[in-house]
Amino acid sequence: MVSRGKAWLDVTEAEIIEALLAFIDRDEASEAEFERMALDVFAYQFANNPPYRRFAIQRGRTTLTVRDWRDIPAVPITAFKDMTLSCTPPERAQRVFMTSGTTQGGVRGKSHHPTLAVWDRSMLVNFRARFMRGLERIEMGILFPDEEAMPNSSLAHYLALAKQECGTADSEGFIGADGLDLARLTAALERAQASGRPYALLGASYSFVHLLDALAAQGRRFALPKGSRILDTGGFKGQSREMGADAFYDALSAALGVDRSACINMYGMTELSTQFYDDGNAICPPVKSGPHWIRSRVVDPVSGRDLPEGSTGVLVHHDLAHFNCVSAILTEDAGIMVEGGFKLLGRVDGADSKGCSLAVAEFLKAARG
Amino acid sequence: MREVAGHLPGLSAEEVEWRVLDFAAWGESVQVSVPVLSEAQALALAARVRENARAYLKTLSVAQIVATLDKAVARLLDRDDPWRRKAEAVLPIVTGYDAETVRLGLSGYLRTFRAPQLQRFLAEDFANPGVLDAFQPAMKGGFTRAHGPELLLHVWAGNVPGLPLWSLMSGLLVKAGTVGKVASAEPLLAGWFAKVLAEIDPKLGECLAVVWWKGGDAEHERVWLSQADTIVAFGGNAALAALRDRVPVTARFLSHGHKIGFGLVSAAALDTRRAGPLARLVAHDVARYEQQGCYSPQMLFVARGGRLSPRDFAEQVSRELAGFARRHPRRALSVAEAAGVASWRTTEEMRAFDGEGPVVFGDAADPWSVVLVEEAQPLAPSGLNRTLKIVAVDSLDAVIPLIAPFRAFLQSAAVAAAPEELFRVAALLGEAGVTRICAFGRMTAPEAGWHNDGRFNLLDLVTITEIEQSAELAAEGFADYVD
Repeated sequence: MVSRGKAWLDVTEAEIIEALLAFIDRDEASEAEFERMALDVFAYQFANNPPYRRFAIQRGRTTLTVRDWRDIPAVPITAFKDMTLSCTPPERAQRVFMTSGTTQGGVRGKSHHPTLAVWDRSMLVNFRARFMRGLERIEMGILFPDEEAMPNSSLAHYLALAKQECGTADSEGFIGADGLDLARLTAALERAQASGRPYALLGASYSFVHLLDALAAQGRRFALPKGSRILDTGGFKGQSREMGADAFYDALSAALGVDRSACINMYGMTELSTQFYDDGNAICPPVKSGPHWIRSRVVDPVSGRDLPEGSTGVLVHHDLAHFNCVSAILTEDAGIMVEGGFKLLGRVDGADSKGCSLAVAEFLKAARG
Repeated sequence: MREVAGHLPGLSAEEVEWRVLDFAAWGESVQVSVPVLSEAQALALAARVRENARAYLKTLSVAQIVATLDKAVARLLDRDDPWRRKAEAVLPIVTGYDAETVRLGLSGYLRTFRAPQLQRFLAEDFANPGVLDAFQPAMKGGFTRAHGPELLLHVWAGNVPGLPLWSLMSGLLVKAGTVGKVASAEPLLAGWFAKVLAEIDPKLGECLAVVWWKGGDAEHERVWLSQADTIVAFGGNAALAALRDRVPVTARFLSHGHKIGFGLVSAAALDTRRAGPLARLVAHDVARYEQQGCYSPQMLFVARGGRLSPRDFAEQVSRELAGFARRHPRRALSVAEAAGVASWRTTEEMRAFDGEGPVVFGDAADPWSVVLVEEAQPLAPSGLNRTLKIVAVDSLDAVIPLIAPFRAFLQSAAVAAAPEELFRVAALLGEAGVTRICAFGRMTAPEAGWHNDGRFNLLDLVTITEIEQSAELAAEGFADYVD
């Protein structure tokens, strides 16, 4: 916690970072404790992020009026594409993560990080709890380009960190400049199968589809040892054929011999510093949840008000680890709050008109050519 | 409430598989059964419609067809007619538009299909509509006759009530055996119209069918596309492209893609006396059908230099939209639509806070949004559902480069300007690709006989058979009265 006696204007970046690292390191946090930290982070962002301050004032939400973390105004993720939302001068950023730009006419949303210390801590603490599940290290195969190839990809950084901190020395990436290196990957899978040691395959959902298609073409299947697991993320994004969730996890399970309950989907965004996980995909859609430094709401997007549990709306995330930009973001993901977390019900960015008038999604598609 | 969609001459309800579509709005719900035909049923229906049209519809004169359509339209205009009452009761639930919007919209729209308007419609495309009945002497010599398609397939999209009727009637006017595929978003009105026609002229009712399949269902599409010689399709470009790829190369494919409407307000229209009523008309065009129609305005270009500034005018439009919302509440939005509106509005708000940006009127929770920008911005869609961006410009001429890059998406533009400026700007708009210029207040109600997307909507459907002068002259040589 930032010391209470201090005027909010004076909270420094170093202090907020220190407070957040300590907060992440706690075992858990009650709603009241989350709220205190959230209000501190809001005060910091309100003081240091001028466009966000103006947005908050326009919504009638200032550090004087906001008493409840749920009242902290949420910024739509499209705003990250139009403007720089950073508490520190953007040129001081150690790293800038950018969206792929596949859904917004090539315009890429940016998140500036003056340090990756909080991002990395958030990722690792959560990753160990939700994916490693007690294992110190595991041999990993990565189905995504590395950080050198994609320096602005938060997923590339995520996977690099996973491999470096939680992977064994013989972990390797299998996506190079020429795409999936199937020969090297099948060799690794064969070795893992023979060794009896658990193996982890992590990467973009669409890369798994490419792998499934390649294995099917060769008529190959694997039975990875007990304890093996899969992490996919990000959906198909037009990079592979679309698959329904059940068909996807059935196929993964059949091709690699990993039970659907050990197939974990990570839900993350460039505009966040924390990820959500499910506890396997035996039943779809599974319940997603995050650690104690992120909380989610389901709102009516027009009024911004919370919807009762069980109603479908748009997800808002309050990610305290995303301290340098804005912590409260209004996503383009439909969701529903359930016991223990939320269910993700797909994207809501591409609403077509019900008639013959041109809607934004199609217009952007055309603009992209 | 339960309703049955479609019109399937020769098929009994028992032999057809039905799927139920659920609709709910305004506290009521309706289940609509839509037919799912097997391939054999579809092929038999196509053959039947084609044959009936050949045996009957093509023997009618255009005047007789106009008379029958006029009777059918009159019934739907009669507020005591059971079909009309059904439409007024059910369509608000299916489409979500408020009852008053549906009632006014239907009447306004159907009025453009009475006999005099249908005749005007014909006259717009045919100097002599008699060519649809018999060979008529041609100016160049010889004779010409126009034939409609043997089997015309309409693929409709969207939920703006009545839009399908327009292409349905076009097809019947050129005596085409007609099959219409209704949209899942509004599957009812076209089928009802077919039933009304069948009540008035049962034999005519056998010359058309109204069917359904799930949009994009390649198997169903393939069957129908293989049967039609002409296809008129509505929808987004992706859906149209997918459809076009399955159309046999020998068939004629006429498509109407999604469009973006806009308006222009000259400085001359912005004095204290004129601006108020004009703002009301703008609000009307924005609110009617929640900007779902291709003719609905999504952006307004307002010239500086009038008594009122573009900002004053934006305030007036905002007030009118607020008033309109009280009289005609916005239809309930789906999560995706609400997200679209919110994302559009908040993005503009954020821009407003990032320095010299737009002015956003009203409150985020209001059922309308108006954004004013002072710098020139190219044409772009709004968030729909009563969201409008007003762009201040130095003159209406400055609008042309802002819209010209989007030629493929242009159709309707409303212009408020004095005559001289109207014609000057209209010429520029036409060059840029605009095909319809109308007054504010009329954007969602095209006049009878308009050329949708700038095409000759009847002429595009027909093929012309010509008896060349040579044949006529040569025939003389074979006559038994020849010397």
